[in-house]
Amino acid sequence: MSTNSRPTIWEHAQSKGVSRRDFLAACAWMTAMLGLPASAVAQVTKALETQPRIPVLWFHFQECTCCSESFIRSSHPGIADIVLDKISLDYTETLMAASGKQAEDALHDTMTKYKGKYLMVVEGSVPTADGGVYCCIGGRTALDIVQEAAAGAKAMICWGSCASNGCVQAAKPNPTQATPIHKLISGVPIINVPGCPPIAEVMTGTIVHLLAFDRIPQLDGLGRPKAFYSRRVHDTCYRRPNYDAGLFVNSFDDENAKRGYCLYKMGCRGPVTYNACGVMRWNGGVSFPIQSGHGCIGCSEGNFWDNGPFYRHLPNFPGFGIETTADKVGVALGAATAVGIAAHAISTNIRKRHLIKEEIAASEDVKDCRAEQGGCEIK
Amino acid sequence: MQKATLGRVYVWEIPVRFYHWLNALSLVVLCVTGYLIGAPLAIQQATEASFAYWFGKVRFIHFLFAYIFFFNFLFRIYWGFAGNRYANWKNFIPYRKNQWKEIKQVIAVDVLQRDNTPIETIGHNAVAGFTYFMTFLAFLFQCVTGFGLYAAMSKAWFPKMFAWIVPLMGGDFAVRQWHHAFMWFFILFALVHVYIVFYHDYVEGRGEISSMGSGWKFIEKEYHPTLKDEKSAGEKK
Amino acid sequence: MAAKRIVIDPVTRIEGHLRVEVEVKDGFVTDAFSSGTMVRGLEIILRGRDPRDAWAFAERTCGVCTTVHALASVRSVEDALGIVIPPNAELIRNLMFCTQYMQDHVVHFYHLHALDWVDVVSALKADPKATSELAQSISHWPKSSTGYFSDVQKRIAKFVASGQLGIFANGYWGHSAMKLPPEANLLGVAHYIEALDWQKEIVKVHTIFGGKNPHPNYLVGGAPCSFNLDDANAINAERLAYVAKLLSDAKAFVEQVYIPDLLAIASFYKDWGAIGGGLSNYLAYGDLPTNGFANPGKFKFPRGAILNRDLSKIHEVDAHDPQQVKESIAHSWYQYSDGDAAAKHPWEGETKLNYTGPKPPYDQLNVEGKYSWLKTPRWKGHAMEVGPLARLLVGYGTGRADIKEAVDMVLKKLDVPVAALFSTLGRTAARGIETYLVAQWSQEFYSDLLANIKNGDSRTFNGEKWEPSTWPASAKGVGMSEAPRGALAHWIVIENEKIANYQLVVPSTWNASPRDASGQRSAYEASLIGTPVADPDKPLEIIRTIHSFDPCLACAVHLYDPQGRTLNRVTVGG
Repeated sequence: MSTNSRPTIWEHAQSKGVSRRDFLAACAWMTAMLGLPASAVAQVTKALETQPRIPVLWFHFQECTCCSESFIRSSHPGIADIVLDKISLDYTETLMAASGKQAEDALHDTMTKYKGKYLMVVEGSVPTADGGVYCCIGGRTALDIVQEAAAGAKAMICWGSCASNGCVQAAKPNPTQATPIHKLISGVPIINVPGCPPIAEVMTGTIVHLLAFDRIPQLDGLGRPKAFYSRRVHDTCYRRPNYDAGLFVNSFDDENAKRGYCLYKMGCRGPVTYNACGVMRWNGGVSFPIQSGHGCIGCSEGNFWDNGPFYRHLPNFPGFGIETTADKVGVALGAATAVGIAAHAISTNIRKRHLIKEEIAASEDVKDCRAEQGGCEIK
Repeated sequence: MQKATLGRVYVWEIPVRFYHWLNALSLVVLCVTGYLIGAPLAIQQATEASFAYWFGKVRFIHFLFAYIFFFNFLFRIYWGFAGNRYANWKNFIPYRKNQWKEIKQVIAVDVLQRDNTPIETIGHNAVAGFTYFMTFLAFLFQCVTGFGLYAAMSKAWFPKMFAWIVPLMGGDFAVRQWHHAFMWFFILFALVHVYIVFYHDYVEGRGEISSMGSGWKFIEKEYHPTLKDEKSAGEKK
Repeated sequence: MAAKRIVIDPVTRIEGHLRVEVEVKDGFVTDAFSSGTMVRGLEIILRGRDPRDAWAFAERTCGVCTTVHALASVRSVEDALGIVIPPNAELIRNLMFCTQYMQDHVVHFYHLHALDWVDVVSALKADPKATSELAQSISHWPKSSTGYFSDVQKRIAKFVASGQLGIFANGYWGHSAMKLPPEANLLGVAHYIEALDWQKEIVKVHTIFGGKNPHPNYLVGGAPCSFNLDDANAINAERLAYVAKLLSDAKAFVEQVYIPDLLAIASFYKDWGAIGGGLSNYLAYGDLPTNGFANPGKFKFPRGAILNRDLSKIHEVDAHDPQQVKESIAHSWYQYSDGDAAAKHPWEGETKLNYTGPKPPYDQLNVEGKYSWLKTPRWKGHAMEVGPLARLLVGYGTGRADIKEAVDMVLKKLDVPVAALFSTLGRTAARGIETYLVAQWSQEFYSDLLANIKNGDSRTFNGEKWEPSTWPASAKGVGMSEAPRGALAHWIVIENEKIANYQLVVPSTWNASPRDASGQRSAYEASLIGTPVADPDKPLEIIRTIHSFDPCLACAVHLYDPQGRTLNRVTVGG
């Protein structure tokens, strides 16, 4: 059992009247959810038995709280189990009982007592324009706060597209210079969990991974857990066979939409979006955007707001008007080229008339030359 | 007008011709399939998805020709060192003063038609060479972005070598958009290219079109007094 | 006795960041200022984009009251372009609206507001058997055995004993304003945990129709999902049955847990029926159309304004009228092209950030000048309160039988007069009452939807004006809604197929904005005046009143500290 004075998750489970059998079943289940082999069950079990609850500090900057809302939608583990039994959520403006000084005290207590041991989670981007005046808390800038807290964090999770990509406030023209956290902080392991918001179970799954294995999950080149962001929505979409068959929805609520054909032509961003929506689905696996008839808007990709309009597969070409795609530019250039060619051909015929006449006359001889397979003189 | 002496020169060796026509085929196939992938046809049909695979086939053909295109291109780069002087890489990169001079000349004569002085380069003239160099860069760009996109749906090691481009360009969406936009470069290139070879054949009778078939070009000897009517003339020096 | 200044920063259990500074004299609040200090510039970002995409941007205004901004946004585009949505789409939107109310109000009551009234530590002293009897006396909710409450109590005891109090650390436990007996506290804590588990269920209605929650998908011209009773890839009988079950489970929870708990807890805090009234003007745009949004007479929540608490006269509200809703920036960090004194209708609205506050880190904002990122909206020059209370009062004043009956039922059970509604308690009760109504209405909407499909109408989308080529060169529209927190509207100007101007006037702008040019306070500031504060170190009472508005500040709100003090320092001042 734990050598730490803080009770472990198994101890909590016992105190809740959970039997050893149920506890082991839960561990096996969690192992499966993490996509780990059955041989890892023992490791997960051990982790949950011996790990004390890790202190978690949850910060809010430029955000809309959809990440917190998504987090509390988690079906496995349930949010009450996480907050009461798995982590010690010492600071979160959304749920904590204390306000004002009492809240600040709780924050600073944890930052001091668990220096280097707490998990920092951030929801929201940090504005850097004009000295950070666009997000101040308690008269301090968000930048100031994030730097202070990051200095003592064991690891950091950036929830959602705001913290990992900048999200909507960073869309053009990004008036406040909203900046994702990984561009501001270094020296702390950072896990990016993008999405607007991320799927609830992706959020809790990332935390469970940290708890169960006491290490950062494998991350891809953009710092995202491979477990949830290694495949495109398109690759796991149940409508994929329609794509391959060339069966597309051509207008919302048309006959093809009623048959659940592919939403590619309606601008679906599934083919360019890395997320687990197609596999895990949303809110306990009930559905996901494509299943409910709307294309993916690519909310876990960087810059997805500027890749609009959402209802067209091809985006606006940068620097042109709202209805300008690469194809329109291409067709226009093609037409211009054709006009240029025609003009050139006409002018050639006029200006090089003599030359051409001579060439036509000479070409008879050239043909002869070729026939003889050797050089010859033009008469 | 002074009589011109036409010399017959073996310019394009078989590998270059093979490359050229395979490349042309690949470009046409890739542009057609690529355009369809970007904007599929609107088909209203009652077929079940399990009975059809046309879009899958379009994509497959695109990927197949991407490989052909890439290795063909790779071979051409090799031939830029191994082939004859007209195939040499030095024709493509204007690093010498006289190449820049020729570029100005060609633009004045052939494009703006300010001058009637004929340009007598046997292989590619400097403008053509430079244009081909730009196309090579575009080839490279299309290969990197294309295989970068393909990497996500392939387990093979080859496309994985290009996966780095995706985060570099800020995600699949941006890579896809640029990959798509560059398709138009090739369409425009093809238009101009076909016109110009016709132009030279028509105006100057130098056998540009047939040369890609036979390998031989006709040039006016007075501008190239040292020229011999032999295959060895094109050999690397 | 000299006045004391109290600063609370951050106010937690809200959306966004809130800082409250009040002046307390003789145990009562005498003044307060409200300042938003976070801005994202969504209105600037929306310019130049495709109007059909606007809903997704606007929806990100708030993730707690998710969907409502998307709804207001698609309505603004539909209003501008003259698009009429099919009846099924209206019903789907109504069902998603009702879902949002039930989830949001329950979460607000238990997770954002209850800890102001319920003492978690006191629950440890409760007798589980007596708690069980209490629970069974107010409701027939099945989870009410002695064993159940005993387990909850043990779980909390073990949690407290761990020394890691997490979200319950430093709460206002044992405060003199906490009046509930231990058994009621234990009941509250048990339902806190139960509601946390429940809220993730009801939102599945959004997932079915909109693909996800938070931030489900909307569509200009209808709803993105299709009906096909003969295909598993569209909304069919199975999906509809799922919705039916979610709605009826939610109705049961609201009727058997939320409402009984609300009444039980409120009965111990009747004194709060005379505290926190604040403004006496109320505004509601109305929502839940039953015959198209152009026909407000058929809304479930009627439209109207009340002045001076005179329920007998409901004033007509027209958001299109350039003389009615206007925003001013006398105390806001923005710039208008024709000066700070101007008040602009949102179609003519401007969003140009112009920070003139102190350089951070700062201790003090200059409230004589600009001190907030929120603009100050006024209706015909009046400061208005918006929210559940405003909606119910407008409904009550309009004489709507179902609303009147529900309000009277609660007033009778609590044995308080109608005047008690104009208070902190009234606001919290109104939220419960409307949840009760919405749970019933959602059943009607579901039956109507089923009837429509049965009659052969399966349309969910009107695509006549989908292509930008069908649009006029320029168009203007207003999309109104009632967010859970109050009257919400988006004003849009479309020019050459692009958004030329987009302005949001959100509930928190009405309630939490700074003073206007003439010095009139908005709802938060006004409601705090007169609030008793027993212990300035633990200003629980201030938090209660602020929470009764269910603050939702995608932009933060800070109340001004004239002495420049931060945190909870208490000083003797002027």
